[in-house]
Amino acid sequence: MQMQVKDAGEGLLEVLLVGRLDTPGVDRIETQLTAHLVPRGARAIIDLSQVTFIGSGGIRMFITIARALGRKGAKLVLYGAQPLVGQVFETTSLNDIVPVRLDATAAAAVARG
Amino acid sequence: MADRSRAMQAQRAEIRFPGTHEGFAQGFARLRSALDAERLEAAPRYNVELVFEEIVANIVSHGAVNGREPDVRVTLEPCSDSIVLTFDDDGVPFDPRGRSDPVHPRSLEEAKVGGFGLMLVRRAASTLDYLRTAEGRNRLTVRVALSSAPSNAPCGRTG
Repeated sequence: MQMQVKDAGEGLLEVLLVGRLDTPGVDRIETQLTAHLVPRGARAIIDLSQVTFIGSGGIRMFITIARALGRKGAKLVLYGAQPLVGQVFETTSLNDIVPVRLDATAAAAVARG
Repeated sequence: MADRSRAMQAQRAEIRFPGTHEGFAQGFARLRSALDAERLEAAPRYNVELVFEEIVANIVSHGAVNGREPDVRVTLEPCSDSIVLTFDDDGVPFDPRGRSDPVHPRSLEEAKVGGFGLMLVRRAASTLDYLRTAEGRNRLTVRVALSSAPSNAPCGRTG
């Protein structure tokens, strides 16, 4: 699991995740991702187009980070999920509580509010 | 039909590992290697990996008895129209069948972060059976369909 974080300006962070959000993958990035986003209350969009797998650990991670950001008046938006990853979002209803969009433009618009 | 033929030619695989994070990673790597030989379509392969991920993660997180890591054995058995996974461990007794799904959250604040794993297993599986064996082991059998119309067809080369 790999992670790249880029400042997109106007207080928006763009995060690219690459690999599998299984238990080892979440263990590898969760602390680092949280540290990048939560302390500064960042508005953030996460590109999931190169995430090939997500399990319940990934869902838990996104809920935890999104909730922490929400308490700071910020927002987390996911985008570009592959179809089978998107099915997991639907099964767990993640997309009802964390915004999920098709592409970066739509995600940034939601994150910037 | 081509997928069924491939599944019927496939071999039964047995994977044994300690119920630790390291064992989990090793077991998952061996599962994926066994699945590579099956040449499954994307959706059933995802479901098999999802079932393995959630069940084994649960054993690793909650299965230890008095600090002793569980011994985990996973069997992957190809059937004509499904893959049957059997998880056998000597950890804390746990029957997942009666567990309910998390309540649908109305907001991020009230959302629970637990319970999604078994929910995903139930959605990925066509059947789920549990037995506490006479030897004091959990034996969970999960069938994952290769198509949308699964049956209880026999498994293995003679199936």
